[in-house]
Amino acid sequence: MIAFEHVGKRYGGRFEALADINFRVERGEMLFLTGHSGAGKSSLLRLVMRLERPSRGRVLVAGHDLDRLHISQVPYYRRQIGVVFQDHQLLLDRDIFANVALPLTIQGVDPADAARRVRAALDKVGLLHRERALPIELSTGEQQRVGIARAVVNKPALLLADEPTGNLDPQLSADIMRLFEDFNRIGTTVLVASHDLALIARLRHRVLKLRDGRLVGDGEVA
Amino acid sequence: MSERQPSGARPRGAQKPQRRASGGGRAWLRHHRAMMSDSALRLVKRPIATLLTMLAIAIALILPAGLWLALDSARLLDAELDESATLTVYFAADVGESRAMDLAAEVGEQPGVAGTRLVTAAEGLADFQQTLGVDDALAQLETNPLPASVVVTPDVTAPAAVQALSQRLQAFDGVDEVRLDLAWLDRLQQLAALGQRVALALALLFGLGVLLVVGNTIRLAVESRRQEIEVVTLIGATHAFVRRPFLYSGAWYGLGGGALSLIILALGGNWLASPVAALAESYGAHFALPSLGIGNSAFLLLFSTILGWLGAWLAVGRHLADIKPR
Repeated sequence: MIAFEHVGKRYGGRFEALADINFRVERGEMLFLTGHSGAGKSSLLRLVMRLERPSRGRVLVAGHDLDRLHISQVPYYRRQIGVVFQDHQLLLDRDIFANVALPLTIQGVDPADAARRVRAALDKVGLLHRERALPIELSTGEQQRVGIARAVVNKPALLLADEPTGNLDPQLSADIMRLFEDFNRIGTTVLVASHDLALIARLRHRVLKLRDGRLVGDGEVA
Repeated sequence: MSERQPSGARPRGAQKPQRRASGGGRAWLRHHRAMMSDSALRLVKRPIATLLTMLAIAIALILPAGLWLALDSARLLDAELDESATLTVYFAADVGESRAMDLAAEVGEQPGVAGTRLVTAAEGLADFQQTLGVDDALAQLETNPLPASVVVTPDVTAPAAVQALSQRLQAFDGVDEVRLDLAWLDRLQQLAALGQRVALALALLFGLGVLLVVGNTIRLAVESRRQEIEVVTLIGATHAFVRRPFLYSGAWYGLGGGALSLIILALGGNWLASPVAALAESYGAHFALPSLGIGNSAFLLLFSTILGWLGAWLAVGRHLADIKPR
């Protein structure tokens, strides 16, 4: 599903965010990406989302060599990936339903079909009863769940999450992780960047560990 | 693992291309409709700001449109002049009435002459008395000081051809003078040509002004919706999708500005109508201010709408490049 081959990323020609990263992720896997802040977790995710291009090496996702993806194809590529952000990135002037429907609106899905899928996604995260609420009326944990509903409404093959539990207490964090596991169980490849080592250790999934832009660990223990 | 086309190994998204192919056109139309009303709604929600922008556009449109109207009225004037552009051939004072009739007939046979009207010395005097009301003064004269004349209507309109005709008639025996006031006609035509260029230059300049006004307004709109743009770009919106609502806003601004300029032009025309009519009356002429008419009004609206759209397109294109998702 994802393959990094000798990937390096420099910013401004000097700062080396990532150096010689090599790993493969099979379809249907669930894994964590850890490391202290500034270790390169976000840079790695940005490369997968094709927000940036590697300075060296190749990034392959779902069969696409991202460096050879034409700029006009990038939006269509991104539609295959669901992304959950730490600060949820909801549109504050629209209700929950519209926020979750956004990826489907962008793809021009028929409104009736879209409504059905939005409700299914909201139901999955347990927020179906709040579909007419505005994001600010929700708690942080609920907002994050809306963000997850938006990420999965399109049934993406790959789900990325960047510090999805960064602002949540341990109980809510565990709930969120359980949601990711549920999606993984139905076949979605899930990659979660997090520095919540205690939580990660309990979940027993593969862990990629970054330190100063290098991959220093790849295994089940953090 | 390394195919170039995204269609190759689309995992679960494999159903997507089919959906796009079947419902793509309808979805596209649906989004256009949604953005059209959504952008209009956004403008309506901020009526004062919207009205100010439209007013700025309207003012920029009024100047060239007003000048065009003025030129149009000048063209109306010279259309009237064409019919009355005649030569007056004055005969020498010693040409008698019968000789004058012969000469008039001869002039009438010249090429380039459409018609002639003989004005005998006596008729000339009567005309003179009537138009000037100087009965008493003229009654004191013992002999008629006016020569017979013939008014020639040329069947050519080009100033140079009329000039040539006048020179030929001048050479006739018994012709004292040929009066032809072409110089001012020439000048009027030059003035009209100049006016047309000025109007064109103004239209270009103020068209640019409209682009800038709309561009700046849209730039602010893009800035205020930056987060939204970042988010939709992250989840796979194309540039066209992001641009669309702003393009519609620009088009609405243009359309509104155009409509406002039509209203202001109509009000201004109304306001000027009675003094202009009074002025024309004092010259014994009937002259009404021209109005744009349906065709030109529609053209103005279309033009301003396209300008607004273009201004938005330029602004969005420039600022989208700046907005990179974090």
